[in-house]
Amino acid sequence: MSQDGQDHQDPQNIAWSIVSYLLSGILVWGGVGWLLDRWIGSSPVFTVIGILGGCGLGIYLGYMRFTRP
Amino acid sequence: MTAIALAAGALPAGTGTHTILAEEFHAPGLGLFEWEPLFNIGPVGVTKPMVLAVVLSGLLIAFFWAAFRRPQIVPRGVQNVGEVGYLFIRDDIARNIIGKKGDQYVPLLFALFFFIWTFNLASVIPIAQFPVTSRFGYPAVLAAIVYVTWVGVGIKAHGLGGFFKAQIPTGLPKAIYPLIIPIEYASNLIVRPFTHSVRLFANMFAGHLLIALFAITAWHFLVEQPTVLGFGVGIIGVLMTIVMTAFELLIQALQAFIFTLLAASYIGSALEEAH
Amino acid sequence: MSVLAEVTGSIGSVGYGLAAIGPGIGIGIVFGLGVQAIARQPEAYNLIFRNMILGFAFAEALALIGLVMPFVYGT
Repeated sequence: MSQDGQDHQDPQNIAWSIVSYLLSGILVWGGVGWLLDRWIGSSPVFTVIGILGGCGLGIYLGYMRFTRP
Repeated sequence: MTAIALAAGALPAGTGTHTILAEEFHAPGLGLFEWEPLFNIGPVGVTKPMVLAVVLSGLLIAFFWAAFRRPQIVPRGVQNVGEVGYLFIRDDIARNIIGKKGDQYVPLLFALFFFIWTFNLASVIPIAQFPVTSRFGYPAVLAAIVYVTWVGVGIKAHGLGGFFKAQIPTGLPKAIYPLIIPIEYASNLIVRPFTHSVRLFANMFAGHLLIALFAITAWHFLVEQPTVLGFGVGIIGVLMTIVMTAFELLIQALQAFIFTLLAASYIGSALEEAH
Repeated sequence: MSVLAEVTGSIGSVGYGLAAIGPGIGIGIVFGLGVQAIARQPEAYNLIFRNMILGFAFAEALALIGLVMPFVYGT
């Protein structure tokens, strides 16, 4: 980003970005699942699916963004 | 509050009944961070953290004013110390992370680092002994300032549509985009200022709570209710208070540094969002 | 039969505390072995770092799910 020869972002920044992606994935898709639960009225099935799915998507996004050259 | 109670008659008969009551030892809780107003200015109650914030800000401003009042090419006296602080921010943080064009953000980063570090240091200064940044309002406002800065800088550099488009990652299969884009926006625009402020707040909150817990342990078991068995616990309390204070000195400086580093990183990535 | 010991109060926080043990150890192992690998062969830094970040993401995911679950099943 600034000087040549440095990897494209500071390692600490990457680590916090991954935590942020995981948290946002959980919150966004867990939230969508929770709203779906309130609309349909089932027990927290969709909330849990949303949380796990959001977690997986967050991992996928972090993997695509930071671990490929 | 979680409590653990042991029934008095549960031990085998040979040991004799000895009830350990958790209620006699009052561990510090959230009340440690609530303050009654010292005095009132009109409708506003002025509490100890507010007084500390004003006094420490005044001291900081006075120090750096004295350092940079008449700057000379060959620095003398206080200007030496001021220059060490300024060059640390300009070289190791701004130019390292943002590059040469980060020079115009050095005043913001300089103010952030030294204010946060001084507010953190108030935890170990004898009469003050309360880290001002452990009240969530202070890190929240500082993170909000950084948020407004980097969003504004990004919009000014790329235009409104360009700023939002530059955050979308490239190279993903097309079908995944509707699932990924909300995560990306939520992560950058909503979770980022939250983690930025909560990191500083939680570190200072936990550190203050730990030091208070060990100090209260030492006081309770050595002075208030000394018993033969409790004496060892009191000595451990004294030692752990010293250890935690030393650890807190490290954490205070580190958290101020990380906050400023991340602020510079957000501004830098807003200026160069080309992936 | 009388109650010998009980835990009252917020069991969600106790649950999160227990849930954070595993990821804490896991992240420590990932980064510890990653740093050792970088020390043994500094030329492979980029490769090792990318894999280290991947391992960190998986371990951290469990910690964050542990953080959120008490709110889902909370009483």
